[in-house]
Amino acid sequence: MRPDLNDPAWAWAPFQPDAARPWDLRLAAHLYRRAAFGGTWPELQRALSDGPQATIDKLVNPKPGAADFDRLYDDYENAAAASSGYGSQAWWLRRMIESPQPLQEQLTLFWHNHFGISNVHVKHNASLFRHAHVLRQRGMGSFEALLDAVLAQPAVWICLGARDNGRRSLSESAVRILMEQYALGPGQCSDSDVREGARALSGWIVTQGELRFVPGEYDAAPKKILGQEGDFDRKALVRILANHPATGHWLAQKLVRWFISDTAKASESLLAPLAKQLTGDGSTAKGVEILLRSNLFFSAEAYRQKVRSPVELALGIIRPLEGRTGTVRLAADLAGLGQELYEPPTLQGWAGGLAWINPLTTLGRMRLAEALLAESGTYEGKLDPGAVVSRHGQTTKDGGRQFLAELYLQGDLAAETLAAVAVAPSTTGSTAARSADPRQIAAHLASLPEFQLA
Amino acid sequence: MLLLVAAFSIYGEDLPPVAQWIPADAPIMVEVSEPMALLGPLLSPEFGKSVTTELENGKANLKLQEFQGVVAAVELQLGTDWRTGVRRLAGRGLSFCVDPSGATLLVADGEDEKLLSKLNEIIWQFASSGANQQDQPETEDSREHRGVKTWKLGTNEVHALLGPRLVLVNRMSFLHKVLDLRADAGGKTLASSALFKAARDAVGKEAVASVFLNLRTLRETPGLKKALEEDGNPVTALLLSDTKAALRSASWFALGVYVSSEKLILKTYTDGTAPESARWTSFSTPPEASAGLLPPLTVPGTIASLSLYRDLHSFYAAKNTLFPERTSGLIFFENMMGIFFSGIDLTEGVLGEVRPDIRVVVAKQQYDPAVGTPATQMPALAAVLRLKDPQRFGETVEEAWQKAIGLANFTRGQQALPGLIIDKANQDGVKYTFSYYRPPADKSSGAIDARYNYRPSLARPGDYVILSSTDALARDLIDAVKKAPSTPAKTSPAANSLMEIEGPALSAILQANREPMVRKNMVDKGDSREKAESDIQMLLLALGHLDHATFTLRRDASRPQAQLEIRFK
Repeated sequence: MRPDLNDPAWAWAPFQPDAARPWDLRLAAHLYRRAAFGGTWPELQRALSDGPQATIDKLVNPKPGAADFDRLYDDYENAAAASSGYGSQAWWLRRMIESPQPLQEQLTLFWHNHFGISNVHVKHNASLFRHAHVLRQRGMGSFEALLDAVLAQPAVWICLGARDNGRRSLSESAVRILMEQYALGPGQCSDSDVREGARALSGWIVTQGELRFVPGEYDAAPKKILGQEGDFDRKALVRILANHPATGHWLAQKLVRWFISDTAKASESLLAPLAKQLTGDGSTAKGVEILLRSNLFFSAEAYRQKVRSPVELALGIIRPLEGRTGTVRLAADLAGLGQELYEPPTLQGWAGGLAWINPLTTLGRMRLAEALLAESGTYEGKLDPGAVVSRHGQTTKDGGRQFLAELYLQGDLAAETLAAVAVAPSTTGSTAARSADPRQIAAHLASLPEFQLA
Repeated sequence: MLLLVAAFSIYGEDLPPVAQWIPADAPIMVEVSEPMALLGPLLSPEFGKSVTTELENGKANLKLQEFQGVVAAVELQLGTDWRTGVRRLAGRGLSFCVDPSGATLLVADGEDEKLLSKLNEIIWQFASSGANQQDQPETEDSREHRGVKTWKLGTNEVHALLGPRLVLVNRMSFLHKVLDLRADAGGKTLASSALFKAARDAVGKEAVASVFLNLRTLRETPGLKKALEEDGNPVTALLLSDTKAALRSASWFALGVYVSSEKLILKTYTDGTAPESARWTSFSTPPEASAGLLPPLTVPGTIASLSLYRDLHSFYAAKNTLFPERTSGLIFFENMMGIFFSGIDLTEGVLGEVRPDIRVVVAKQQYDPAVGTPATQMPALAAVLRLKDPQRFGETVEEAWQKAIGLANFTRGQQALPGLIIDKANQDGVKYTFSYYRPPADKSSGAIDARYNYRPSLARPGDYVILSSTDALARDLIDAVKKAPSTPAKTSPAANSLMEIEGPALSAILQANREPMVRKNMVDKGDSREKAESDIQMLLLALGHLDHATFTLRRDASRPQAQLEIRFK
């Protein structure tokens, strides 16, 4: 009998493999795609032997050396942020590829999308880097601490068009975004709540690139926000918003869309247990852990039910090949596909889902796959599918092709499609050349419609 | 007698010039007639030892270890050390050519046929066993064409051994063409091509290496076609427009490489001429009366110094020819100049006031310990111009400069960024204007912001105008122009560009920026930190052997000629 997907008890119960839904390469790769931008062959094999829950333990718990890695990459990114160009984005992409905690980077990207802070408005790489640093440091913890830290960033106020929150120059539109977009969700607060919220934020002014509190501009009179009355300042407003039930619900909805499915409509009752974990004493890490361990996550409703964003597409090509490539050019190419890191198009972030796909981006995705996997050219052939094939003991042409299909698509490819991969004419050589060249096979696999789905 | 027989067996057949085996339509041909003249110093044990020591000192020995491992294996198999091996396998010449279809050919002429056969056997055995392991045995093949055995390794490598000559191509069909020409089976050869002969004659017999390009063919390739077009970039147009014009009409281009007493000299030749009738070519042609350039200026820590003859007035008067499209960049430039120079006509009123002697100096800068040192240390850069009437126009330049600083401050202020403070000072009786950022309040986080590389300055000693990115360089240049002669150096034939590069200073600034370069390499190329460090170390090592380089651009009988002289330590 098909389980009731809107039954919270079943949906959030930890996934236990059974005959109908065995723990196999497909589900292991599904977990790595969503939580780690893709897994290498050894990671997937290890996951198969460890089982789902132990694998998730590894993904959610910090690894030894992770703090050192973060310190080193903070230093790299900080230095790159001092100059213009794609340097900061390139270092973030490199961090996503190399990080021992890829889930942390997934969540940093999630929060970057959630807050939608763009350098188009801020025009200062270093400020954006500091913003992302806060998202990374606080993104796994409580939402209250995260929101508090985010609102201490001048970049946020610049992007919201609210540099000057003086007593008589309150930016209500910025506060509406804070309340509806960042916390409660659309339609959860009144105009009066917004006005009163703006008064709570009075006194905070961005000057010389820094956020400063000017006591003379603070409106100390009592306020009434979301049914609560008191002398609320910025910290108090953050506490009210972060602990409001609507906030938990809104964040749960967004996390389900991010990690489970672009299209699934989750009912209020389904979201309620997850929402509870995301407010109050809970943490994002705890909520995400519940989500990743759940029956829902490993159900057919989640499997390949997300369109890979350009970043996920590129990393999904790169990470399984146990290599890395130049990320300055990659950052520019991803911008061309519609995802420029540090520059989400609106405060709502990227539209995501099917919006990633149109005739132009489809062609661009194919070209990116070809370029990343080409022997020479833009990416200098740094990724080497042939070496990965050999490293994992595949010495025959057929074995190599089958291995790459398993690595990238785990049996989600129809036999006739795989056969077509073997004989499709090469762009640069003969049919025989394609059938033997792991680079061309990998590029073809990464261009298939199935690969565009996470 | 035995010795004579042995000598013949080593030197093998008398080798004809490679060009006699190449089809006449080959658009690119590179010949190194004396490989040892170029490679000799690199093959010396002393050089090898210095490379090993420096790489090991720099802890960038990944490549070295890989290289040493491969070399040791090959030495063992061949029974000779690698230096001797290279001499015996390629000591008599190296040639490379590309045919119109993109097929490539490499020819190595050695002295030891037996050693070449042995190397071929080793490679063949290695490739065959590798192919069998990879389940691709059909990629290895050995056949005959016109009595010559050909060897195919993989999909892109075919070769043949002809005595001590190794012929290596990437397509079997191209090798067949070459062997057909060798067998005199019809078809014209590159050696009989009039263009190739003309290029060879221009390069001369004293060249140890040469490059020939058939521009009639290559000019049609999209990349070169685009490169030779005017791209609307004023700097490119100012520096290279007449060279590009000449190449657009040229049939061939050649590069000769010469070795002369510790110097490596590269000279270019072409049959193309810039059209004399075109008004705009005159801006970079020194008149006979002056016949040359002012000597490049030098200051303490000079990295590079450039002297140009460019008549900016004539150049900009021809803007409609040089930049037929009114790009947004050009419009912006003219608008800004209109603001800085209070609406004075740019061509007549501004550029018409500047003499055609332009010099640019790049120098290492010293940072004030009280301010700190930025993570990326930019060299200081200055342009030195001469005014026709400094009394009349000098203050106009000063006013324009101050407006530019004011505008920069206004723009930075809009972004809540700190601005520049303008001040005046005196250097040896010359009053100059400089600007600076307030020192950082907090230096605890280490390297300071990149903006501290800049202290824009303006000085007007005599009829000179010095526009410098730092006040220190402006001061040094005030001293330098006082000492420098104001009459042109007699460079003949008339040079219009001269650049000098000081190897040790260039090496020092790169060494100071080693860490930023390593990081840039990591994200540009996707290399590991170890690999990036190794690459940068190799670059620094190579530059460490550069003592001095001089680049000259001149017109010889209306034809552009470039020359690069490199002196090594």
